Order: sequence, then C-alpha cells, then structure tokens
Amino acid sequence: MSRKHKKHLDFEVNLIPFIDLLSTCICFLLLTAVWINVGALNVKQAVGGQASEDATKKPTLWVQMAGEGEISLDVRDAQVPRELTKLVIPGKEGLPNFEGLAEVVGRIKQSEPALTTALIQPQAVSVYEDIIELMDQFKKSGLIDLGVSPL
Amino acid sequence: MVNSGILRTSAFGSVIGESSVLAPQSESHKRVVNAELLLTALIDAFSILVIFLLMSFSSTGEIIFMGKGMELPKAAQGDLLDRNPVVKVEEGKIFLEDKEVKAEDLTAALLEVRKKYGETHPNEEFPGVITVQGDRRLKYETLNGIVLASSQAGFSDIKFAVIMK
Repeated sequence: MSRKHKKHLDFEVNLIPFIDLLSTCICFLLLTAVWINVGALNVKQAVGGQASEDATKKPTLWVQMAGEGEISLDVRDAQVPRELTKLVIPGKEGLPNFEGLAEVVGRIKQSEPALTTALIQPQAVSVYEDIIELMDQFKKSGLIDLGVSPL
Repeated sequence: MVNSGILRTSAFGSVIGESSVLAPQSESHKRVVNAELLLTALIDAFSILVIFLLMSFSSTGEIIFMGKGMELPKAAQGDLLDRNPVVKVEEGKIFLEDKEVKAEDLTAALLEVRKKYGETHPNEEFPGVITVQGDRRLKYETLNGIVLASSQAGFSDIKFAVIMK
C-alpha cells in the first residue's frame, strides 16, 4: 500500500455528551445533597428497663441536674477514693460547667476504669440542649451506657 | 481529521476588534480567532466534583424533617440515625410520624406502632427503639411525657436526634 493512501488513525472523542452528563450529575447531586449531618445519641431508660436477674451491681454514676447549672455526681458500686464518691459541680453563669465536669469525670474514670454507666436525672426546668451536652461529655469520657430517668 | 474536528471549526470573531477605530480588524485585516477550550481540565474538575458530591451524599436527612425555627442540639459523639418511629415536639405539639398526637394518647399510639410491627414482622424480635426530635431550647418537662410513654409502650431505647458537630 502506498504512503498517500494510508488511512489517518487520529480520531477525536466527542466530549460534549460527557460534559452534559457530568453537568447533569452535578446539578442533581447539588440539589439533592443534605448538608446537615444528623445523628443520634442513644439512651436507655434509666429506671425499670432491666430485668431483675440482669440488674447486677455495676459501677454507676448517678447524675442529678439541679437549678443554676449545678450538677451533682454520685458514684455507686465502684472502687473510687472517698472524695470522688459524691461531688457537686457548681454552674457557671447559670449554665452547667462542662469543663469542670469533664475534669472530674476523667478523675473518676481513672480510679474506676470499669465505670461505663451514667444515669442522668434531669429536672423539669432542665434544658434539652444541656442534657444532650452532658450526655455528649460522658460519651467522650468513656461512659457509653447512658440512661435518662423520667421525672 | 483533527483540523476539521468539531473543536477546530468553531471560530469566534471579536465584535470589539471588528469595530475598533484605531486598528480595525475587519474584512481584509480580520484575524480568525480560534477559541480552543481545554476540555480535559474541565472534565477533571467535573469528575472531582461528582465524586465529592457522591461521597458526601447522605440519605439520613430523609428520616427526619425539621420545621422552620427548629434547631436540634449539637453533639460530637452521636451515632448514625436509623429508621425508627419518630416522635417530634414542635411548637408544644407532639407528632408521631408527622401525625399530631395528644400527650395522653401517646402511649396508645406507640402501642399501636408496636402492634403493627408485630404484624408485619412476625418472626422478629421487637427492637423497641424510638427517635425523639426536639428543639434544643425545650424543657425536660415536655420531653418527660415522651420518655414515660415510650417506656410504658416498651420502647426502651431512645435515640435523641442531634446535629453532628
């Protein structure tokens, strides 16, 4: 075959439909995207949720939310120093002192690593946001089994 | 073949260049401006965008619908939100799966949900999980009714819907 009859093998891919497809995909995904990441804090019923045979004496932290952001901690069935058994963390400008709480819970957890349960007793006037923040703080500190008691 | 391709044949003449007084580029002086777009870079950018959007695509937003003015509390240690019966407190009213329920009828409504679950899933154990959706400024006295009703109806696990920090 002579050189001048050689078929040119270069070809051009038509990119326009591909760009159309990508643009459509981007528009669809942007319109349907959910930018708020919603999660859930899992909580068990504090009272009456367990069968009597299951109710073994596990180290438990009882947390009472009082007025003016005051939080009372009561460690039960755990081997902790006496000064950590009952503690009151005063509020800060009417709100719970979460930094102080994290520090105290860290000390309790250091003394009793088996402590994983916290039962929260809110008051009628306790704000939902503060209860969630409290639970979040406990989860951060390794207290993963959380319970909330009704009034 | 490349020279006669679709990208080569699209020429854009400059309107400003043609009508310029100082250096008119019309007719004999007209210079053909072939605009060649670098499509590879554009396709790269588009592909990255599509991959990012697909990766961040989340279906959990469909589980709960937030009304105007409702702000969920924020938490860092939350888990993934599953599909469970949702009890919502909005403007002082309680809704079970978007149907308004009186506080005193909530236990009965939850028992009905439990009964329906038993009918539709005859060989499965009842999970007893409920999702509670409420504004961050709510007082616990409002939520207490839901906690009590869910306890009475056998929903021992409560999932409080939060915005992940």
